[in-house]
Amino acid sequence: MQDMQNGDSPQEVNQVGDTEDPSKFLGDIIGAPVVVKLNSDIVFRGTLQSVDGYMNISLERCREVDHNNKVVRDYGEAFVRGNNVIYICLDDGSV
Amino acid sequence: MTTENVLPLELIDKCIGSPIWVIMNGGKEFAGRLLGFDDYVNMVLEDVTEIDPIGGDKKLPKILLNGNNVCMMVPGGDGVSTFDDEEK
Repeated sequence: MQDMQNGDSPQEVNQVGDTEDPSKFLGDIIGAPVVVKLNSDIVFRGTLQSVDGYMNISLERCREVDHNNKVVRDYGEAFVRGNNVIYICLDDGSV
Repeated sequence: MTTENVLPLELIDKCIGSPIWVIMNGGKEFAGRLLGFDDYVNMVLEDVTEIDPIGGDKKLPKILLNGNNVCMMVPGGDGVSTFDDEEK
Protein backbone atom coordinates (compact mmCIF):
# COMPACT_ATOMS: atom_id res chain seq x y z
CA MET A 1 0.00 0.00 0.00
CA GLN A 2 2.97 2.29 0.63
CA ASP A 3 4.00 1.89 -3.00
CA MET A 4 0.56 2.79 -4.29
CA GLN A 5 0.61 5.30 -7.13
CA ASN A 6 -2.09 7.39 -8.69
CA GLY A 7 -3.95 5.26 -11.18
CA ASP A 8 -3.33 2.01 -9.33
CA SER A 9 -6.35 -0.06 -8.61
CA PRO A 10 -7.53 0.43 -5.05
CA GLN A 11 -9.50 -2.81 -5.14
CA GLU A 12 -7.05 -4.90 -3.12
CA VAL A 13 -6.68 -2.27 -0.42
CA ASN A 14 -10.15 -2.57 1.00
CA GLN A 15 -12.47 -5.39 0.12
CA VAL A 16 -14.16 -5.91 3.44
CA GLY A 17 -17.63 -5.52 4.89
CA ASP A 18 -20.38 -4.42 2.55
CA THR A 19 -18.05 -3.18 -0.19
CA GLU A 20 -19.76 -3.59 -3.54
CA ASP A 21 -17.80 -2.55 -6.61
CA PRO A 22 -19.54 -1.67 -9.89
CA SER A 23 -18.89 -5.02 -11.59
CA LYS A 24 -20.47 -6.93 -8.70
CA PHE A 25 -23.48 -4.62 -8.70
CA LEU A 26 -23.94 -5.11 -12.44
CA GLY A 27 -23.77 -8.87 -12.05
CA ASP A 28 -26.39 -8.75 -9.32
CA ILE A 29 -28.95 -6.65 -11.19
CA ILE A 30 -29.07 -8.60 -14.48
CA GLY A 31 -32.70 -9.55 -15.06
CA ALA A 32 -33.99 -6.95 -12.60
CA PRO A 33 -36.20 -3.96 -13.41
CA VAL A 34 -34.08 -0.82 -13.71
CA VAL A 35 -34.31 2.90 -14.32
CA VAL A 36 -31.63 4.27 -16.63
CA LYS A 37 -30.98 8.00 -16.86
CA LEU A 38 -29.03 9.50 -19.75
CA ASN A 39 -26.93 12.66 -19.89
CA SER A 40 -29.73 14.30 -21.87
CA ASP A 41 -32.05 13.70 -18.84
CA ILE A 42 -34.06 11.13 -20.75
CA VAL A 43 -35.20 8.29 -18.49
CA PHE A 44 -35.73 4.70 -19.62
CA ARG A 45 -37.38 1.95 -17.64
CA GLY A 46 -37.09 -1.71 -18.46
CA THR A 47 -35.70 -5.07 -17.52
CA LEU A 48 -31.92 -5.25 -17.67
CA GLN A 49 -31.02 -7.96 -20.16
CA SER A 50 -27.27 -7.40 -20.24
CA VAL A 51 -24.61 -4.82 -19.63
CA ASP A 52 -20.87 -4.63 -20.36
CA GLY A 53 -17.81 -2.77 -19.11
CA TYR A 54 -18.69 0.30 -21.19
CA MET A 55 -22.08 0.47 -19.50
CA ASN A 56 -23.64 -0.40 -22.84
CA ILE A 57 -27.05 -1.75 -21.88
CA SER A 58 -29.71 -3.86 -23.47
CA LEU A 59 -33.18 -3.44 -22.03
CA GLU A 60 -36.26 -5.57 -22.44
CA ARG A 61 -39.70 -3.92 -22.35
CA CYS A 62 -37.94 -0.57 -22.64
CA ARG A 63 -40.14 2.49 -22.10
CA GLU A 64 -39.13 6.13 -22.18
CA VAL A 65 -40.83 7.98 -19.32
CA ASP A 66 -41.20 11.67 -18.45
CA HIS A 67 -40.74 13.40 -15.06
CA ASN A 68 -44.10 12.10 -13.86
CA ASN A 69 -43.29 8.51 -14.84
CA LYS A 70 -45.75 8.73 -17.69
CA VAL A 71 -44.76 6.53 -20.62
CA VAL A 72 -43.75 8.67 -23.60
CA ARG A 73 -42.62 5.90 -25.92
CA ASP A 74 -42.56 2.12 -25.85
CA TYR A 75 -39.54 0.63 -27.56
CA GLY A 76 -39.73 -3.03 -26.63
CA GLU A 77 -36.16 -4.29 -26.79
CA ALA A 78 -33.51 -1.58 -26.96
CA PHE A 79 -29.76 -1.06 -26.84
CA VAL A 80 -28.34 2.01 -25.10
CA ARG A 81 -24.74 3.05 -25.81
CA GLY A 82 -22.90 3.33 -22.50
CA ASN A 83 -21.35 6.78 -22.95
CA ASN A 84 -24.80 8.37 -22.66
CA VAL A 85 -25.63 6.79 -19.31
CA ILE A 86 -25.46 8.81 -16.07
CA TYR A 87 -26.79 6.09 -13.82
CA ILE A 88 -28.45 2.71 -13.67
CA CYS A 89 -30.86 2.49 -10.75
CA LEU A 90 -32.40 -0.64 -9.29
CA ASP A 91 -36.16 -0.18 -9.64
CA ASP A 92 -37.89 -1.33 -6.45
CA GLY A 93 -41.10 0.50 -7.28
CA SER A 94 -40.29 3.55 -5.15
CA VAL A 95 -38.54 5.52 -7.90
CA MET B 1 10.10 15.79 7.57
CA THR B 2 7.24 13.38 7.25
CA THR B 3 4.17 14.39 5.36
CA GLU B 4 1.08 12.19 5.29
CA ASN B 5 0.64 11.54 1.59
CA VAL B 6 -2.94 10.52 0.91
CA LEU B 7 -3.59 9.63 -2.71
CA PRO B 8 -6.94 10.81 -4.09
CA LEU B 9 -8.39 7.36 -4.65
CA GLU B 10 -7.13 6.28 -1.22
CA LEU B 11 -9.27 9.03 0.29
CA ILE B 12 -12.31 7.79 -1.60
CA ASP B 13 -11.50 4.21 -0.62
CA LYS B 14 -11.68 5.27 3.03
CA CYS B 15 -15.20 6.59 2.37
CA ILE B 16 -16.61 3.18 1.45
CA GLY B 17 -19.59 2.55 3.70
CA SER B 18 -19.95 6.25 4.53
CA PRO B 19 -22.07 9.06 3.13
CA ILE B 20 -20.58 10.87 0.15
CA TRP B 21 -21.60 13.86 -1.93
CA VAL B 22 -20.88 13.68 -5.66
CA ILE B 23 -20.94 16.76 -7.87
CA MET B 24 -21.21 16.18 -11.62
CA ASN B 25 -19.96 18.30 -14.48
CA GLY B 26 -23.41 19.45 -15.54
CA GLY B 27 -24.31 20.80 -12.08
CA LYS B 28 -26.25 17.73 -11.03
CA GLU B 29 -25.42 16.28 -7.59
CA PHE B 30 -25.83 12.93 -5.89
CA ALA B 31 -25.74 12.36 -2.13
CA GLY B 32 -25.73 8.82 -0.76
CA ARG B 33 -23.80 6.04 0.90
CA LEU B 34 -20.79 4.80 -1.08
CA LEU B 35 -20.77 1.02 -1.47
CA GLY B 36 -17.87 0.76 -3.90
CA PHE B 37 -16.10 2.17 -6.92
CA ASP B 38 -13.71 1.11 -9.70
CA ASP B 39 -10.70 2.55 -11.56
CA TYR B 40 -12.93 4.86 -13.63
CA VAL B 41 -14.56 6.12 -10.42
CA ASN B 42 -17.84 4.57 -11.47
CA MET B 43 -19.62 4.27 -8.14
CA VAL B 44 -22.26 2.13 -6.49
CA LEU B 45 -24.35 4.31 -4.16
CA GLU B 46 -27.19 3.43 -1.80
CA ASP B 47 -30.08 5.56 -0.44
CA VAL B 48 -29.32 8.26 -2.96
CA THR B 49 -30.81 11.71 -3.37
CA GLU B 50 -30.41 13.03 -6.88
CA ILE B 51 -30.15 16.80 -6.54
CA ASP B 52 -31.07 18.54 -9.77
CA PRO B 53 -31.36 22.35 -9.63
CA ILE B 54 -33.77 22.28 -12.58
CA GLY B 55 -35.66 18.98 -12.38
CA GLY B 56 -35.91 18.83 -8.57
CA ASP B 57 -34.73 16.19 -6.10
CA LYS B 58 -35.38 12.48 -6.46
CA LYS B 59 -34.81 9.50 -4.15
CA LEU B 60 -33.11 6.44 -5.61
CA PRO B 61 -32.62 3.20 -3.63
CA LYS B 62 -29.41 1.95 -5.25
CA ILE B 63 -27.54 3.18 -8.31
CA LEU B 64 -24.48 2.60 -10.43
CA LEU B 65 -23.22 6.09 -11.23
CA ASN B 66 -21.14 6.57 -14.39
CA GLY B 67 -17.77 8.07 -13.46
CA ASN B 68 -17.44 9.86 -16.79
CA ASN B 69 -19.06 13.11 -15.67
CA VAL B 70 -17.95 13.18 -12.06
CA CYS B 71 -16.38 16.50 -11.10
CA MET B 72 -15.94 16.33 -7.34
CA MET B 73 -16.56 13.94 -4.47
CA VAL B 74 -16.97 15.19 -0.92
CA PRO B 75 -16.75 12.68 1.96
CA GLY B 76 -19.27 12.98 4.77
CA GLY B 77 -22.62 13.58 3.16
CA ASP B 78 -24.43 16.34 1.35
CA GLY B 79 -24.02 20.08 1.51
CA VAL B 80 -27.45 20.56 3.01
CA SER B 81 -26.65 18.71 6.24
CA THR B 82 -23.24 20.43 6.41
CA PHE B 83 -24.89 23.83 6.29
CA ASP B 84 -27.55 22.72 8.77
CA ASP B 85 -24.80 21.83 11.26
CA GLU B 86 -23.24 25.25 10.92
CA GLU B 87 -26.48 26.98 11.79
CA LYS B 88 -26.80 25.11 15.10
